[in-house]
Amino acid sequence: MSLVEIIFWFLSGLALISAIMVLLSKNPVHSVLWLIAVFFAISGHYILLNAQFLAIVNLIVYAGAIMVLFLFVIMLMNQNAETEPRSKSTWIKLAGAIAGGCLLIVVVAAVRDSENLIQNIGGKAYAKTAVTTHGEIGLIENLGRVLFTQYVVPFEISSVLFLSAMVGAVVIGKKD
Amino acid sequence: MLNALLLMKQELAVVAIIFILLILKLGKDRSNVTFLNIVNTLLLLNVVAGFFWNSEGVLFNEMFRTNPLMILEKNILSLGTLIISMQSYSWLKTHKHVPEFYILLLSTLLGMFFMISGGNLLMFYLGLELSTIPLAAVANFDLTKRQSSEAAMKLIISSAFSSGLLLFGMSMLYGTTGTLIFSQLPAALNGSDLQIFAFVLLMAGFAFKISVVPFHLWTADVYEGAPVAVTSYLSVISKGAVLFVFVSVLYTVFKPLAGAWYNMLFLLSLLTIIIGNLFALRQDNFKRFLAFSSIAQVGFILIGISGSSQLGSTSVIYFVLIYIFSNLAAFGVVILVSAITGKESISDYKGFYKTNPVLAWILTIALFSLAGVPPTAGFFGKFFLLMAGAAKANWMLITIAALNMVISFYYYLRVVKAIFMDKNEQPIERVAMPLMPRLALYVCIIGIIATGLVSYVYDYIHSLTAPF
Amino acid sequence: MFSLKSITDSIQVWLSANLGATGALIAQCVIVILLAIALFAVLGLVLVLMERKVAARMQVRLGPNRVGPWGSMQTAADTLKLIVKEGLTPDGADKFLFNLAPYIVMIVAMLLLAPIAYANNFQIWDINIGVLYVTAVSSLGVIGILMAGWASNNNYSLLGAMRSGAQIVSYELSAGLAILTIVVLTGSLQISEIVQSQADGWWIFKGHIPAIIAFIIFIIAVTAETNRAPFDLAEAESELTAGFHTEYSGMKFALFFLAEYINIFIVCAIGATLFLGGWMPLHIGNWQAFNHIMDYIPSSVWFFGKVFFLIFLIMWFRWTFPRLRVDQLLNLEWKYLLPISLFNLLLVTMIAILGWHF
Repeated sequence: MSLVEIIFWFLSGLALISAIMVLLSKNPVHSVLWLIAVFFAISGHYILLNAQFLAIVNLIVYAGAIMVLFLFVIMLMNQNAETEPRSKSTWIKLAGAIAGGCLLIVVVAAVRDSENLIQNIGGKAYAKTAVTTHGEIGLIENLGRVLFTQYVVPFEISSVLFLSAMVGAVVIGKKD
Repeated sequence: MLNALLLMKQELAVVAIIFILLILKLGKDRSNVTFLNIVNTLLLLNVVAGFFWNSEGVLFNEMFRTNPLMILEKNILSLGTLIISMQSYSWLKTHKHVPEFYILLLSTLLGMFFMISGGNLLMFYLGLELSTIPLAAVANFDLTKRQSSEAAMKLIISSAFSSGLLLFGMSMLYGTTGTLIFSQLPAALNGSDLQIFAFVLLMAGFAFKISVVPFHLWTADVYEGAPVAVTSYLSVISKGAVLFVFVSVLYTVFKPLAGAWYNMLFLLSLLTIIIGNLFALRQDNFKRFLAFSSIAQVGFILIGISGSSQLGSTSVIYFVLIYIFSNLAAFGVVILVSAITGKESISDYKGFYKTNPVLAWILTIALFSLAGVPPTAGFFGKFFLLMAGAAKANWMLITIAALNMVISFYYYLRVVKAIFMDKNEQPIERVAMPLMPRLALYVCIIGIIATGLVSYVYDYIHSLTAPF
Repeated sequence: MFSLKSITDSIQVWLSANLGATGALIAQCVIVILLAIALFAVLGLVLVLMERKVAARMQVRLGPNRVGPWGSMQTAADTLKLIVKEGLTPDGADKFLFNLAPYIVMIVAMLLLAPIAYANNFQIWDINIGVLYVTAVSSLGVIGILMAGWASNNNYSLLGAMRSGAQIVSYELSAGLAILTIVVLTGSLQISEIVQSQADGWWIFKGHIPAIIAFIIFIIAVTAETNRAPFDLAEAESELTAGFHTEYSGMKFALFFLAEYINIFIVCAIGATLFLGGWMPLHIGNWQAFNHIMDYIPSSVWFFGKVFFLIFLIMWFRWTFPRLRVDQLLNLEWKYLLPISLFNLLLVTMIAILGWHF
């Protein structure tokens, strides 16, 4: 196993365990902190994919800003195990677990299947899973160029989206 | 340059209206009445302008494309927005945040336009978000009511969840095909398991937005809590926009997966019709009633889509047009009554005919059209939908759908009975109809009658749709 | 000219000759870690003493003057005291988070030391998005602060943490935009390239008035980001006892205290790198003789001189301005600094495109 592989497995394991802990934590503050750990692991993955800019932006936006706001709200609400709503009956939990497990099996089977298809066809792999053709796409120069040429319209529309969301929030939140 | 601008004429028009509203808002204080008059004039201009300078083309690396069919779809949505805006005149006259209401509403309309015109899954997604997030804010516009906030919260959470599903599906689709561009996707789709799975997720996202059973759970609560004007916008315009995109995406982009989605549509449409109808039977709140009836209507639309033929897409667009007229006529009456009396339950409508004969007739015609009683357009709409569905010779589906039409007659006519026959000690008092809502209601009634009888409408839509 | 490059190069050569590739890498890591910790300790000692001396000078008193010559051993003695003190964990506190928080703050501060260019060719990690890295990682410190405030199970702590969070999240914007102005002028995010681009003059001189505006905004924003007076609402003594670290004592308190000073050092280092040319000596146009004399001053002296000048500036603020209220603090950011920095960024972009800078 090369160093990159070790790091990959480590980060993946970290991400999965943290994600599970997000769900299992009784205390919402702990959940948010675990979520921050998930974002760290994902940023690590981005760096492995040679997308440093995405990694850093992921940290700034999610771990640094959004999660801080989450923490704000949750800490001020002061929720803990006692204020949690009464937990669901065991049957519902069981049903949920079975349904989720079935979904997981389907996903895993589908992914495995598409792997097999690549091996079978060999050369025509592009139709099954995307192959990164060049490793520099995540660097900031290339990302910026693509974002402001090919994807300029979605970029601008997302700014309109944020603006209108902000207008809505201000109107609702205004006191008078 | 001018050509490119013309291609985006409707988007630009909406943006221009938003900017005009912004300038008016920043300028000197105007009374709500002046403001509403200006807005409605602008929206009327927008609808009229929509019919001219039609052109066809692609912009920005296929991020944006347009053709006469899309222009027609956008015009239908603009028309519906105008009607709703005119109908909510009585409600907005006393509201504090009228400019903001329109700015948010029109930004959702802009989102729908981009969604319809998007030639890329990314654009589609952004358009969809732009058309739902401001709407959640607008759903909270009964600022003093808790229920309204609850509706907004439920809308935003359920739409966030469905967006999550959509994005998950889209990312898998990108992972297996390496492209998000609509024109390149069909060639890259080969029906591998992973693609089918991604498609199921996409389908679930769509189903949320058009409230198909079993993804309908948010609908009734949101419709009940939101202000009536917003409810009608939600049930007609935003649903219509997603339906337009749904048809075109299924018929062009996911055509290679037609076998897979036919089965899904079969199941979903059956569930949707049956559950929508059964729940509509026992509703007393008018908005909840219309919510479940709209769920059932979407079930019929899904049958039309499952036909996989040119008739399918034509009949869906045709039905959405009719549905806009009939549902908006019904909602228009409810908006008026609720703005003045605050009454929203069906039992309040007992003896409605005694005090408000005109409104009672309008409501009746609208309900007839929703039920699909012959002389109204609703009949023709459903007829064409079932015809399109029948093309697949799946007689079980058609039989169950027809049986459900009978059930739906029962609950629609129950309301009509309440209006005309039931006695009531305290009927709704006489509701004054200002000019704007009256005009809007008359437009709806003319639409209900004419769309069905004038065959040119159907033929025109048919001439624009592409063969499957 | 004196350069650290020859020393680092010879160490590199010696290590790889004696230990092989992997061994050399590990050895270098160890050296870097040791150097970083040493820098930490030295900076902590020096900065705390400097703060007290500056404060004393401003208030016309002597400051620490008993331990060692001119009181220079005072902080060392204080540290010793803090180490031997008992670290208390309050009842009802979230034990794990309470004990974790100071380390997170500390680790974040340490991570920030990596991309800074301390001297010519003397840098731990010259990542190609160095400036962004600094912004990103420094924004994580607030998580530690929020953790500390919440886990203490104390209302003062929680309020202090909330204030600190609001402050850091808001002021990050102007700091980021001020940084961006220089990035726009340089066309690179890499620290070494930013420094290199100032070989013919520092950006604060080359970038006309917009660069000066950006510099001022940057200094204000980082003062707020490090929770320093006049923006020290998070630990406003008169209102919140000591803010988020009310419940901390002993070494855990010392870690917070240390991290605060290291953060000041780091933001000043970034400011010096972006606006004052990092380790670049002061050059003035065609004054050959003057430039040559300046070149003889070692680059590390230039760097630390600039950094300490900025630190002095920030300490000066503390004793000059009264503390703001929370609403004034947020108004200042959202209503004044942010619009100004956005407009300023636009201006700088224009200057950069038209090539008006020197």
